[in-house]
Amino acid sequence: MSATRGGVISLVVAAILALSACKHEESLPAPKPTSESPASAPPTERVVGPLSNEDAQALATMTDRLNEYIELYTKLEGTLPKLPKDATPQQIDNNQRMLGKLVQQARRTAKPGDIFTPQARPVIKHLLASVFGGPDGKQLKASIMDERQAAPSAVKLRVNARYPDIVPLTSVPPQVLQTLPKLTENLEYRFIGDSLILLDVHAHVIVDFIDGAMPH
Amino acid sequence: MQTRHRSYVVLLSLLLLILTGTNYRDIGSITGATPVEAQQSSAEQLVPLPNKGGSLKFCVLGDFGTGERPQYQLAEQMAALHGRFNYDLVVLVGDNLYGSERPQDFQQKFELPYKPLLDSGVKFYASLGNHDSREQRFYKLFNMEGKLYYAFSPKSNVRFFAFDSTYPEPEEIKWLEDELAASKNDWKIVFFHHPLYSSGKRHGSDLRLREVLEPLFLKYNVSLVLNGHDHFYERVKPQKGINYFVVGSGGELRAGNIDRGSGITAKGFDTDLAFMAAEIIADDMYFNAISRTGQTVDSGVLTRRKPAP
Repeated sequence: MSATRGGVISLVVAAILALSACKHEESLPAPKPTSESPASAPPTERVVGPLSNEDAQALATMTDRLNEYIELYTKLEGTLPKLPKDATPQQIDNNQRMLGKLVQQARRTAKPGDIFTPQARPVIKHLLASVFGGPDGKQLKASIMDERQAAPSAVKLRVNARYPDIVPLTSVPPQVLQTLPKLTENLEYRFIGDSLILLDVHAHVIVDFIDGAMPH
Repeated sequence: MQTRHRSYVVLLSLLLLILTGTNYRDIGSITGATPVEAQQSSAEQLVPLPNKGGSLKFCVLGDFGTGERPQYQLAEQMAALHGRFNYDLVVLVGDNLYGSERPQDFQQKFELPYKPLLDSGVKFYASLGNHDSREQRFYKLFNMEGKLYYAFSPKSNVRFFAFDSTYPEPEEIKWLEDELAASKNDWKIVFFHHPLYSSGKRHGSDLRLREVLEPLFLKYNVSLVLNGHDHFYERVKPQKGINYFVVGSGGELRAGNIDRGSGITAKGFDTDLAFMAAEIIADDMYFNAISRTGQTVDSGVLTRRKPAP
């Protein structure tokens, strides 16, 4: 990243922050800019943008939910023994399943839209459409899709369920990551078919998903 | 019994020599070396691995974790090679476990096929592919020590850098730059899953990743880049002085997938599984690509990049 581009991005981020703050003073509750989400993650260097004030506010609702999830996750993870750096497959599996169980119990009533909020969903879809509709879109899609990808019809996605063992994890190109709100280390974006998945890596649980997120 | 067995081996070797017209090129100048013999098609000259004491010997393997018979057969060739070429480590360029990653999968897709090597003390150093769960970084036998990206030096003149190309966050790219800048080693070898240069019809070169990584490789004198993802073996013609290999042929094969018109292939092999064996001696790296049937399908020697005076 060149210094010039870095500077431009910083200005854009600052402008979003400033605009958000102005809006807050006028009428609405404080929206958190997407580039700060979640609090412990560094700002995303956008390849699509800048966001309109409305879009930033919409994504801020997702930020709030992400922060709540991370708070819950941190609390639950703290109750389990730390996974050693030289773990056996059994230890990895046990740890993952124990954490998964705790997350699932704590989020018994979780449903689609809890994290990818109804306000954030159209913005996420729009951002992805911009990336996949760009000159590199075809290549980006090809790098996500793979012949070992299960047929989408064979997979029934459920929030708070274990990520299906039969479905391979897909690549997520840097251009896509740089478009979406930044996540902390324990969360990842993945795709199953055209659905965008928010995956808890350590618990191997689907935290939320958006159907039809990848444009055809 | 042992003598009889040896006779069979000699007879079989002679038969293979006659059938394949194998030839060897004596590179001759390396003292204390016992070249590793292998077969190669008659059209090309084989550059044997010098097998010199004190050199760094290693293998490269990618896209292997299927748990299916072909993977095991290639693993047998790796074990056979280790019997006469005592390599210390295997670099894994990702897609280490396909599909589920239950404890029994680690066993079936990794521990069993490579058991002879693991038992002999060969260390495997993994990078993660797009099909790999991040939790693999905690797996003891992948030697990642809980990290998605890391560096290590098996010899003082060589440093390997494992990079996570599936989920390359900006901070990881900064880490790589800092590590490359700080490294004073003669050989800087970077390994990760997605190739910057590949003639794969299925995936091919990852141009976006190339934009980010190639300037760093050039700036900090990376000599060698090892990748997988495309399911074949390809030695790419040096690109801006850097040597690139695609070794995604460890268990999955995408037969006939090399685009012969890409213009970047120095040598391609897409008709069977293969792994790569290499040996670094001072400024040179000797390499052989060996197929599931034990044939050496590519060989050669390359020289490391040196900083501009």
